[in-house]
Amino acid sequence: MQNGSSPHDPSMESIDAMLMRVAEGDRAAFELIYHRTSAKLFGVCLRVLPVRQEAEEVLQEIYLTVWRRAGSFDPARGGAMTWLITLARNRAVDRLRSGGRRVSAPIELADAIPDPAPDAEAHVIAADDTGRLAHCLGRLDAGDAGLIRTAFFEGASYAELAERCARPLGTIKSRIRRALLSLRTCLA
Amino acid sequence: MSAEDDLDLLAAELALGLLEAGEAAAAQARLAQDPELAAAHARWTGWAAGLAADLETPPPARVWSTIAARLPANDDGTLRRQLRLWQGTAIAASLAAVVLGVGWWSRPQPAPVVQVAAAAPPIVAVLRGGAGVVSVSYDPQSRRLATVVAGIVTGPRVAELWVIPADGRPRSLGVLSQGHPGWRSAPARAAVVMGAGMTLAVSLEPQGGSPTGLPTGPVILTGKLAQAT
Repeated sequence: MQNGSSPHDPSMESIDAMLMRVAEGDRAAFELIYHRTSAKLFGVCLRVLPVRQEAEEVLQEIYLTVWRRAGSFDPARGGAMTWLITLARNRAVDRLRSGGRRVSAPIELADAIPDPAPDAEAHVIAADDTGRLAHCLGRLDAGDAGLIRTAFFEGASYAELAERCARPLGTIKSRIRRALLSLRTCLA
Repeated sequence: MSAEDDLDLLAAELALGLLEAGEAAAAQARLAQDPELAAAHARWTGWAAGLAADLETPPPARVWSTIAARLPANDDGTLRRQLRLWQGTAIAASLAAVVLGVGWWSRPQPAPVVQVAAAAPPIVAVLRGGAGVVSVSYDPQSRRLATVVAGIVTGPRVAELWVIPADGRPRSLGVLSQGHPGWRSAPARAAVVMGAGMTLAVSLEPQGGSPTGLPTGPVILTGKLAQAT
């Protein structure tokens, strides 16, 4: 178990620096960024898009966008990894939803289902946001943590979540909002 | 629930994708004007990215080969570096112009070559880069320019269109109007250099357009003019 990560992890800082070099058209920096981050971003694509071929296509588009748009990365608004993951998630969700495709798999809300985070506890001691998030999600009602993950990775709005859980919209909305506020308290 | 909670919840809902498209667009628009919301959104975006903590699958090697093959061959970053340089030197340049009492942009331009023999075909460009796209068509005879702007995000700034001829000096084609397609006459000093192969770029500028006559903000889109026929 690794407990050496700090909020100023040097490897993260260098991805920030690399991304800024990419903004100036540095192809070597672009290739380095790809090798450092593509497993993470492909993981995101696969989580959103179950069809592997589609996930690969979207990953290509994501990195071509990184090449063109690196200049819009603003380190004042967050780290490069966050920028990359957000871009990947948005692109993958756009593809998932393209052409009006709907996701309708029912969501089981039974509280007995454990939070699907495989090793939430393993992250407890990590000092960075990532580890804290896993820890704080683990403290939520498992159904709520699942709803938050589904919203993020499937682009599911309140209305869609309510439909897929077969619960009234108001119930789902207030349930998730309560969960978000307790997440914030835990994370802050 | 306090107003602070409401703002934080809105930021969280936007970052996590819980809002319907219309609500999300409204919240997105508010980000540019509400620093508190923007800060909360940045915080939640960081936390949301943490949801990917356990995801890690190396992609097959063919993905990189395809990406490398699709990088535009003519984009080695030179243009971007040049634009950055212009931005850096724009202030110096305009100060120098004040001192000298003249700017390079006010020097007499060579008279435009008027083509009377054959009707010059229109030239067109599609500008891409960040979000959105701008398409431009230019009629060399009337020196009129038509632009269609779709999906670009300018925040509190405006989008300004530039032509960058072989001498590397950007010349403004004016501020783009977002709402509707526009016809306009190209400014004379830009019109003389409009031709196939020239680069067009869109930069973000303060309201009213660049105060220096050169791009001062980030370049969000670029493209090359080509013969339409």
